[in-house]
Amino acid sequence: MKVVTGVVGNDIHVVANRLIELSLKARGFEVFNLGVNTYLEEFIDAVIETDADILLISSLNGEAEGWCREVNFLKNKYGKLLDDVVFMIGGNLVVGTGSAEDIVPRFKNYGFDLVFHQVDLNTGLDELEKFMSERK
Amino acid sequence: MSLLQEEREIILNNEYVDNFDFAEVEEFVKNASKDLFISYNFAKSNKMLVQPRGGFPTYNKMFALYEFFVDANVDVLPCTIDSNTRLNDYATSKKMLRLSEENEVDMLNGYPLVNHGYRTTRKMMTHFNKPISLRHGTPDARLLIETAIASGIFEIEGGPITYLLPYSKNFPLDKAFLYWKYVERVCAKYSGLNEPINRESFGPLTATLVPPCITIVIQLLEMLLSLEEGVKSFSVSFSQSGSMNQDIVMGAVIKKLAKHYAKEINCEDAKVHLVYHQWMGAFPQNKDFAEQLINMSTVIASMVGADKIITKTREEASGIPTKEANAKTVANTQYTLRILNGLPNIVDEEEEEILTEEVMSIMEAVFNDPADTLWRKVFNSIKNGIIDVPFSPHIINNNEMITIRDANKNIRIIKRGKVPISDRCYEYEKSKCDLTKDTTSIVNDIIHDIGIMQ
Repeated sequence: MKVVTGVVGNDIHVVANRLIELSLKARGFEVFNLGVNTYLEEFIDAVIETDADILLISSLNGEAEGWCREVNFLKNKYGKLLDDVVFMIGGNLVVGTGSAEDIVPRFKNYGFDLVFHQVDLNTGLDELEKFMSERK
Repeated sequence: MSLLQEEREIILNNEYVDNFDFAEVEEFVKNASKDLFISYNFAKSNKMLVQPRGGFPTYNKMFALYEFFVDANVDVLPCTIDSNTRLNDYATSKKMLRLSEENEVDMLNGYPLVNHGYRTTRKMMTHFNKPISLRHGTPDARLLIETAIASGIFEIEGGPITYLLPYSKNFPLDKAFLYWKYVERVCAKYSGLNEPINRESFGPLTATLVPPCITIVIQLLEMLLSLEEGVKSFSVSFSQSGSMNQDIVMGAVIKKLAKHYAKEINCEDAKVHLVYHQWMGAFPQNKDFAEQLINMSTVIASMVGADKIITKTREEASGIPTKEANAKTVANTQYTLRILNGLPNIVDEEEEEILTEEVMSIMEAVFNDPADTLWRKVFNSIKNGIIDVPFSPHIINNNEMITIRDANKNIRIIKRGKVPISDRCYEYEKSKCDLTKDTTSIVNDIIHDIGIMQ
């Protein structure tokens, strides 16, 4: 399965991004890592270009809150091309502090299928694999 | 008019800069107090120099910061530049400086030197009669460096590799080399007038599991690029790695090899100094532990034989340190240095030999690149993965090398990527680690190793 991943916005925190790439590869995914400092449109372009199954966005410094409101807008714009793509986001998703109970539904509303706020990397990827196998 | 001078006229003819009077600046540098030159302080001082970090937007706050530092017995003052200036966005800096001056809120994370101008800044920089170190992170620092030297700042930190690979995703690396070449030439030119202008490289890089051989290779290459342009005083640096033994080995090897390679290009007359950064990684949340860690850094710096130490504060884990916290850490570090006398000289011959071989084989591969100039050789070596910095966000970085800590907290290479270290060294590195684990456990180890101090 193909995954496009990267850190959204002007965030330059790269460590988690590298670890996500390593972990995904170890689990047998084909990974297209756009790295840090990536805009939402770039993600969508890469998903379409690579015909990816999953878009996994990560964020550390809270920029996700500002950038990801447009996910549904872009989904509508591209219509069928994105219908089968699983949208996942994880990391530290808001500026300041917030609880997962508030944040998860909010990001699902923005257009994400899977949302992980301050969740351990392996737990997040276990959930992703579970989600993908149940979907089939 | 020389090409360099023509280029300078163009760069300094910028709408955000006050009119540059070259003759006046030369006269100023010629007659400046020797105490302002860190190169002179290195030569006359028989103790490790202590330098904190820090920078504020307004002149008054910056001045107040320096007063605090002087009271805390600082040896070298820092001048940290704001992030808009680092990206050459002087218009935003100007606006934010105005807002900072009008309100009681700081709208910039450093001193916008270009906007303040050299005529104003010089009054502050000459007032304390201490050397000042310019800290920034700018790929195109040409205008900034001209303004700094004209202001009385005679140490310039950074370099084309160390100020780019950890801080940028896609600023063109070849441009960075050419812009820094200009910086080196300007520093070299002024060095003939009084004491030498010192250049300092930034060894911590990404501060995350960077193996010693990569740090040293990059330090040596930035040193050579600087010396070949005529710079006569250079500082190589590295930060606390997390293993005391590895730090001591690193200090010994970098000193030995800096001398060796400077001689290779007939620059043995240049003075090379060693700078040690207190822990640059993630700090423990517990401030008492943070203080212990900082104190430990000072002890290691002594054992390494550093000429200068750059301090951290116990506030690091929770945000940007205050000027009081910064001054306190200077005073504490000075105290620790005063009570540290007669440390034993530790030598680990096997580790030194392995590290020396690793560095020399990477350096040889860089020199063997067919390009005609050193900067092009280095550029190609980064592009093709001969030099690979773990966790660099830059798109040109190869990112195949993987490192973890062994049982003694030493950073070890478990995947070398295209970095040409010999099979013997590679086997040695791997033999220190438990490689029977699966990738998921190794990733978990890396996550743990990044926050080694927790």
